Amino acid sequence: MLDRVGNTPLVRLACLSAGGRSYFAKLEGHNPFGSVKDRAALWMIRDGEQRGVLRRGQTILIEPTSGNTGIALAGIAKLLGYKAEIVIPEKASEETKEIIRSLGAKIYETSDDLCPKVGAGTDQSIALATSIASSRPETYYSPNQYANDANFLGHYSGTGPEIWRQTGGRVTHFFTGVGTGGTITGTGTYLKEQSPDVKIIAVQPQQNHLIQGLRNFEESAKPDLFLRREGVVDDWVTSTNAQSFGVVREIFEKDRLVVSPSSAAVFAAMKRYPLPDGACAVGIFADDGRKFRSIYSSQGVMTEEEFDSAVRQARHLSDVAYMQG
Amino acid sequence: MSEPDQKILDATGLFCPEPVFRTKIEIEKMQVGQVLTVSADDPAAEDDISRWVARNGHELLDMAKDGGKITFQIKKVK
Repeated sequence: MLDRVGNTPLVRLACLSAGGRSYFAKLEGHNPFGSVKDRAALWMIRDGEQRGVLRRGQTILIEPTSGNTGIALAGIAKLLGYKAEIVIPEKASEETKEIIRSLGAKIYETSDDLCPKVGAGTDQSIALATSIASSRPETYYSPNQYANDANFLGHYSGTGPEIWRQTGGRVTHFFTGVGTGGTITGTGTYLKEQSPDVKIIAVQPQQNHLIQGLRNFEESAKPDLFLRREGVVDDWVTSTNAQSFGVVREIFEKDRLVVSPSSAAVFAAMKRYPLPDGACAVGIFADDGRKFRSIYSSQGVMTEEEFDSAVRQARHLSDVAYMQG
Repeated sequence: MSEPDQKILDATGLFCPEPVFRTKIEIEKMQVGQVLTVSADDPAAEDDISRWVARNGHELLDMAKDGGKITFQIKKVK
């Protein structure tokens, strides 16, 4: 199963590609636990094993996350013989929390009013995970994806080379959301080493956003991991909630992809960004839309019946480990 | 005060924000009117816990410091 982490498909987005410009989506939902975060989780656990800080059957991994890292870490920890405890904002989707519990991990839900000086959202989770681990160092290890270079390396050694190879070295623009900064700094650094002309474009949500997995850096701090290589970013694009949710149906109707809110935010940015003739744009679709039935219904994107029908008709849906029963 | 109305949380040795997080979990499990006694020794707990109690509409009956140890008496109000 862990051999299946990475090497995700790159599919052409027919609805955007026109004239001399081509657009591709890297479908990270094809990782075994359904998201780009399998890469970070696996690399961080392997790094901890190599450094001798993890003991199978004893160490409890505790990790702050907005969702997907919790799923990835819970799933991979179970396969490798570690317990996992996941610290997650209470506003994360119920589907996400249920998947994490079903993978055997314990959940701590944080709220923004816990400790105002820490900051909102995942910042509360980072602080709580760090505090739990630091008072019990003999039992707990927090990989902390927001500061761990293994997260960067997973993308530098995996996602970057895969995109270079899959586009035959033609990629000119790379779009991705920023949560920890692992994807953009790892992939961006590799691509720029191959061709300094590749443009790296960061997609951020608006303030008070509903886009699980992304961060707006006017309302929350830039993670340490991102700050180390922030210079790789050439440009920033903000996708609002309305712009992001507004393209979910369009992507399904034109390309038969059921995408997540963060993938929709990336798509909305790719759609608006002016590209020169001959450009080859690649966007990271961090996961697919199957965990977001309730939020799409509550946001008026599609009813639950329309959503179920879309999933039945969708192309490129993967076999995800936790959906196989 | 009768015995079942008193709950105790020992958060000594824990670093913030864990003491306030454990306090929140305990308060959520309690009935209105019950009192939780929390002890902590992270200096940041003083602000974290007293502010959380005020923001969430509960009542801080007492806060006492003994050396490095801080003891809170918190009444669940709603």
